[in-house]
Amino acid sequence: MGMGGGNKGQSRVTMSEINVTPMVDVMLVLLIIFMVTAPLIQQGVKVNLPEAKATPVEAADKKLVLSIDAGRRVFIGDAEVALDELEKKLAANAKAQADKEVYLHADRDVPYGVVVEVMAAAQRAGITNVGMITDPTAGAAASKGSKKEAKR
Amino acid sequence: MKALLLSLLLLPLSALAQAPVIQISGANFRPLPLAVPAPLSVDEGGKKLANDFDEPFLFDLRASGLFQVLDRASFTADPKEGVTAGSINFSRWADVGAESIVKVQLGAEGGTLRGELRLFNVGTGREDFKASHAVPTSEPRQLAHFLADALYRHLTREPSPFLSRITFVRKAGSNRDIFVADWDGTNARALTSGGIHLLPALGPDGLVAYTSYRKGRPDLYAQRPGEEASALVQNGQMATGVAFSPDGKRIAYALSQGESTQLYVANADGSAPKRLTDTPFGINSSPSWSPDGKRIAFVSNRGGSPQIYVMNADGSNPRRLTFQGNYNQTPDWSPRGDLIAFTARDERNAFDLFSVEVETGKITRLTQDQGNNEEPVFSPNGRLILFTSTRDGTPRLYVMTKEGTNQLPLPMDKGGGLTPDWAP
Repeated sequence: MGMGGGNKGQSRVTMSEINVTPMVDVMLVLLIIFMVTAPLIQQGVKVNLPEAKATPVEAADKKLVLSIDAGRRVFIGDAEVALDELEKKLAANAKAQADKEVYLHADRDVPYGVVVEVMAAAQRAGITNVGMITDPTAGAAASKGSKKEAKR
Repeated sequence: MKALLLSLLLLPLSALAQAPVIQISGANFRPLPLAVPAPLSVDEGGKKLANDFDEPFLFDLRASGLFQVLDRASFTADPKEGVTAGSINFSRWADVGAESIVKVQLGAEGGTLRGELRLFNVGTGREDFKASHAVPTSEPRQLAHFLADALYRHLTREPSPFLSRITFVRKAGSNRDIFVADWDGTNARALTSGGIHLLPALGPDGLVAYTSYRKGRPDLYAQRPGEEASALVQNGQMATGVAFSPDGKRIAYALSQGESTQLYVANADGSAPKRLTDTPFGINSSPSWSPDGKRIAFVSNRGGSPQIYVMNADGSNPRRLTFQGNYNQTPDWSPRGDLIAFTARDERNAFDLFSVEVETGKITRLTQDQGNNEEPVFSPNGRLILFTSTRDGTPRLYVMTKEGTNQLPLPMDKGGGLTPDWAP
């Protein structure tokens, strides 16, 4: 009880701790991005994957795959969804919400802006990890940096 | 030799058939992620009744505690997808996290509503179970409860609560009337009209016993829906808290005389009353029978504060069960036998629900920080608890699992409800 009284006194003193709220905000806009190899993931959507020289992460179990084909159409699995419905669909999706992770399977000719829009929709839906599916035929040279943190 | 081989072959198969698909008890229990797309209709009649079927069906599955019913907003499958394993695109269901799918097809013809339920396993892509049932077109809710019950029985090998009945008190002005309703509080019908009627108990055969002030003082009456009330107990200053024995043949109740309130047991018609407790100045009340009918839990202040006690049904061998808190009341004995749920007033003067293990006295808290929660009663299968809560302002009925998880308000109208009882 003596301790309790002491604390009460101190609470009137200027707060000297770091205010973590802005830091939490910064953390929340971070997406963790990593590379995934394609052969493990069989998709109905036809996509020309980019080749990348990065050490891929092995896809351990089946994560939800978002595809963007050359015609800029967006798919959850093999079901086409409108881009403006993607956030709602992902926010309600029990699998994506449990994993907090999706794999992005986009054609190499899709503009960067479209990819970012899809990633932003996923991030708003609470997804924190995005695996970029790449074509391994180029040979994944041993290079570091498979796990990058990128600020959106 | 052949017979031996045959029995060896059959044994594991029959054992398999008896084992529940979902094991509800145990630390490993995890609700089954279940996709329940909107019901399909084969005709216009089925389409009209689809919503009336859908709402109670979804509520039954959600409240059961067995399932994580997935949000339909996430679904990517074609809403018109068929109801056979061959026509279902299982990978789309896997993509929304479903492990099983329940599909219902409705059709209405000539005053009859027919529903067919199929359960599919997303992992194997196979149909696991099928059930169908028909009701008059005026009763789509009954079809929902029946099909939900069939699914529950298939998965747990136990009867569900969905076909059971509840009774409760509803306030209207200065009146307190008794209602009898479906398990989800809908389809409520008034048993009494006007006056003050309290603490109803539902017998296994639909008989309702309650305390009524119709003669100016609280006496016990029994009544069936649509029939006249008959007097059960009309002596003493106050008779309350009637409870039917599990076989419905006896009643226990509390009777006030002079400076004390004592518990009695009588035949179900009130004849041959026998006093169970004998504490000169104390109060003994709120009896609740064990599922085998051999013991009775009750509240007594013989130790100074109201506490939960257990005694044999002949009054012998009373034993105090709760030693925490200074205000424990309204015990209800689980039909599974192991637990007694009760209301306790905590250190902040809020009423909350707890359960106590009958053999060990171990207490578990079930509700916290959500208004006052009172009057727990177990479902007939002992898996769920119905209770009154003021978390939304006025007292309303809520249901939760016996572990205190998955607390949901019953989908009943604003009239709310108090002091519920639940029977098969």
